[in-house]
Amino acid sequence: MIKSIVKRDGRVVLYDESKIANAILKSMQASGMDDAATAAVVAGKVTDRLMQTCGERAPEIEEVQDAVEKTLMDNGYDTAAKNYILYRAKRTEIRESNTALMKKLNEIIKADAHESNLKRDNANVDGDTAMGSMLQMGAAASKEYYAKYLLTPEQDRAYINGDIHIHDFDFYALTMTCCQIDLVKLFKGGFSTGHGFSREPNDIASYAALAAIAIQANQNDQHGGQAVPNFDYGLAPGVGKTYKKMFRLKLAEALEDAADLDDATELVKGILADIEEETGWVPQLETNLEAYDAEVIAALNKKLGSAQDFVPVLARSRKRAWKATDKATFQAMEGFIHNLNTMHSRAGAQTPFSSINYGMDTSPEGRMVMKNLLLATEDGLGHGETPIFPIQIFRVKEGINYNAGEPNYDLFKLACRTSAKRLFPNFSFVDAPFNLQYYDPKRPETQIAYMGCRTRVIGNVYDKNNEICNGRGNLSFTSINLPRLAIESKGDEKVFYQKLTDMMDLVIRQLLDRFEIQARRKVKNFPFLMGQGVWLGSEKLHPDDEVREVIKHGTLSVGFIGLAETLVALFGHHHGESEEMQKKGLEIIGYMRKYMDDTAEKTGLNFSLLATPAEGLSGRFVRMDKKRYGVIPGVTDKDYYTNSFHVPVYYNIGAFDKIKKEAPYHALTNAGHISYIELDGDTSNNIEAFESVVRAMHDAGIGYGSINHPVDRCPRCGFNGIIGDSCPVCDHHDGDNGYYMERIRRITGYLVGTLSKWNDAKQAEERDRVKHHL
Amino acid sequence: MPYTETAQEEQLEISGFVNDSIVDGPGLRFTVFGQGCPHHCKGCHNPQTWAFGAGERYTPQAVFEKIQANSLVKGVTFSGGEPFAQCGGFAVLGQLLQKAGYEVACYTGYTFEQLLQMPAALPLLKQLDVLVDGPFIEAQKDLLLSFRGSANQRILDVPKSLAAKEAVLYEGERWQGAPRYIPRHLKF
Repeated sequence: MIKSIVKRDGRVVLYDESKIANAILKSMQASGMDDAATAAVVAGKVTDRLMQTCGERAPEIEEVQDAVEKTLMDNGYDTAAKNYILYRAKRTEIRESNTALMKKLNEIIKADAHESNLKRDNANVDGDTAMGSMLQMGAAASKEYYAKYLLTPEQDRAYINGDIHIHDFDFYALTMTCCQIDLVKLFKGGFSTGHGFSREPNDIASYAALAAIAIQANQNDQHGGQAVPNFDYGLAPGVGKTYKKMFRLKLAEALEDAADLDDATELVKGILADIEEETGWVPQLETNLEAYDAEVIAALNKKLGSAQDFVPVLARSRKRAWKATDKATFQAMEGFIHNLNTMHSRAGAQTPFSSINYGMDTSPEGRMVMKNLLLATEDGLGHGETPIFPIQIFRVKEGINYNAGEPNYDLFKLACRTSAKRLFPNFSFVDAPFNLQYYDPKRPETQIAYMGCRTRVIGNVYDKNNEICNGRGNLSFTSINLPRLAIESKGDEKVFYQKLTDMMDLVIRQLLDRFEIQARRKVKNFPFLMGQGVWLGSEKLHPDDEVREVIKHGTLSVGFIGLAETLVALFGHHHGESEEMQKKGLEIIGYMRKYMDDTAEKTGLNFSLLATPAEGLSGRFVRMDKKRYGVIPGVTDKDYYTNSFHVPVYYNIGAFDKIKKEAPYHALTNAGHISYIELDGDTSNNIEAFESVVRAMHDAGIGYGSINHPVDRCPRCGFNGIIGDSCPVCDHHDGDNGYYMERIRRITGYLVGTLSKWNDAKQAEERDRVKHHL
Repeated sequence: MPYTETAQEEQLEISGFVNDSIVDGPGLRFTVFGQGCPHHCKGCHNPQTWAFGAGERYTPQAVFEKIQANSLVKGVTFSGGEPFAQCGGFAVLGQLLQKAGYEVACYTGYTFEQLLQMPAALPLLKQLDVLVDGPFIEAQKDLLLSFRGSANQRILDVPKSLAAKEAVLYEGERWQGAPRYIPRHLKF
């Protein structure tokens, strides 16, 4: 008699023949045979077989399943046997994937981040903390689920094998990538974060605080970076309101002194209110000074009945109000930067990926915002640390700030000085033809904005009237492993293009599948992004409405990595090495762009081509390809594939030539791009050199560029600059008393405080970077 | 004899070139390292440039063309090695550069006063805008100095110095670099 069986985990349980009969019946039903009696008979035969093979010993589960298979076949139930085998295989697969998942979870819990690549996949997450680990565990589990249940087998295979990379896969079915938050629109009338309402702010401090809150709130609804396209225009009204208050305050004070009054508060309040009522004027920073002051003086003479000369009183009040407003603005900007570097969002484990664009507002208020933001950035955080967030992007435009004599030229100079010390701001170029085509001087929303990692959303096939940045973002993006396609084409260009076309088709289908999942989400799934009308068009929707129509303003992007390795695999050289290869490179990327444009035309959705930011991915693809194809010189012989269309970092090329080579690709990658120039040396010592690189980028037609240079900081005395083994100011030796130098470097557009948080591939890439100069 | 006529014969012995340098003077610069140096300063950054005869030979014209290939560069710095050990060649190169509108700067281990006593030095001095003079003295090493290694070294305005027949410091911000950092407090 069989009394018990041994389960997989070793537990012994009672043998139950009816369970076997049930499994057999299911296999029979799948082949159209619904006969419980027969199933019971076969089950009985299984028991007989087990008695023969095991005797008194309790059989193990695998033995029981073997016996079922054999019994079904021996008795002529071939189809049922086949079904049973398939069912068994699938169970095995799920079991194994559970085991793999458990292993991953085990690594997340037990390993130190510095020894686990899995835990350093994203440099912005501290994998050693509780919240960081929780996020990583959630990501690991959800990825398993999506791969098994949401991808087609074809997509799953391409993803698992490393033909493609589906970005932010852990959020596959949950949300979209990013959004450009229009602060002007959001602040008008105030907003709610879901836990309370914020009234329209009334001074620059509240404007700055709410700007940070808006970024944080939106980050809870999306997995990608959060950008503000109009930081200057958005915060300028705050400066105006602060000045208005300060003027009232300072005028009262000056008046008390000059006219020997005990308290002039109410008097001044009344006068200013009367003027506002009669003329509609309020005191402004630099506008309408004389006419306004004349009104005030006339009113004062009337009220105080004296012939006192109030001109000096007004002059003093103006000066003091300006100073106080300037100071308040500086403090507000300082607070904003501090907030963005300390508050956490996105499953509680990360500071928001924030970026802010500015540079074009020529109003005195907007200029005061920018000046103080830059000065606060230059100062650094509390102990002089370089702020990691927000990513700042200074818009450069001829006629506004590019040449001496233009209204914001001083701010451009200040931006260069700040970036030479702090790595931010980066520079975007409104004059690049592909950006200039959208620019309407009367509509700030048509000024190109970039989101930190390089994402760019402005063109709009879905709605030609809304070719703007504000309220729009990327929905999702998937990158293609270009070098692999090249390796597999074995030097045959035709084969390569066929493979590339097939792969783009696969990715486009996958992006459309993901779009369908996203489109079915409802407004209530995005309480801030959609609920507060941040996303373009969402203000007209109700909480239970699908977001399908409005998210068509977003982009679906196909990315690529490793153009350089692709060219080497196909032709033996990369585009840095010859003009001929440059031509080939432009043909490939040009072909991809055309394919995206055609797809956009066909679907009415904003398909676009992305120069992929490659954190994590740069190592993943090459590791897999090295295993598959071995070490191919110039292709798989490094620990990373070269970022998008970049000239390889290990290749020695002058700054000017690099800019020239990369600029044409900016025009082709309409979903985003960035070029980097590495300068070796302390650029804050040589701002002239820094600026000449920025100017070269502008003149070459680069869309978005940034200059990398080492920024080290001594933990003991706070010195910022280049530090070797010991601090040139206080002689602190690296590592003494356990204190190490902070070495800030840039990774896929984001700054990272210590190299140790980078994943292996990125660390290798940093080592190989050729610095333009010494 | 004007130096242009001897251009064909003058040769430079070169240790190396650096494109896009940001540490040898303001702006992006092209730096030409001469091979061979008599000073042998203790703690020298480039001892491999000491030996004479160990470099590669170039005509000044060839070096000039290399510089012109980089259209971002507005300034050129002679370094070494000791450029004044090859006054003739560097003077020819300096003249080519001056004509093309570059700012020409030079490092030397001699002091300006010593150079005034060396008849061969004058033709090269005449082609320079800026001279960073004096040997590297390890005891006066200071990493916070811009474009200099030790505190004894001076950044001189060469035309003014020649006119005054004595060392005149370079005025203006371009060669000054960032303001010196003074720590407010030490944390530990």
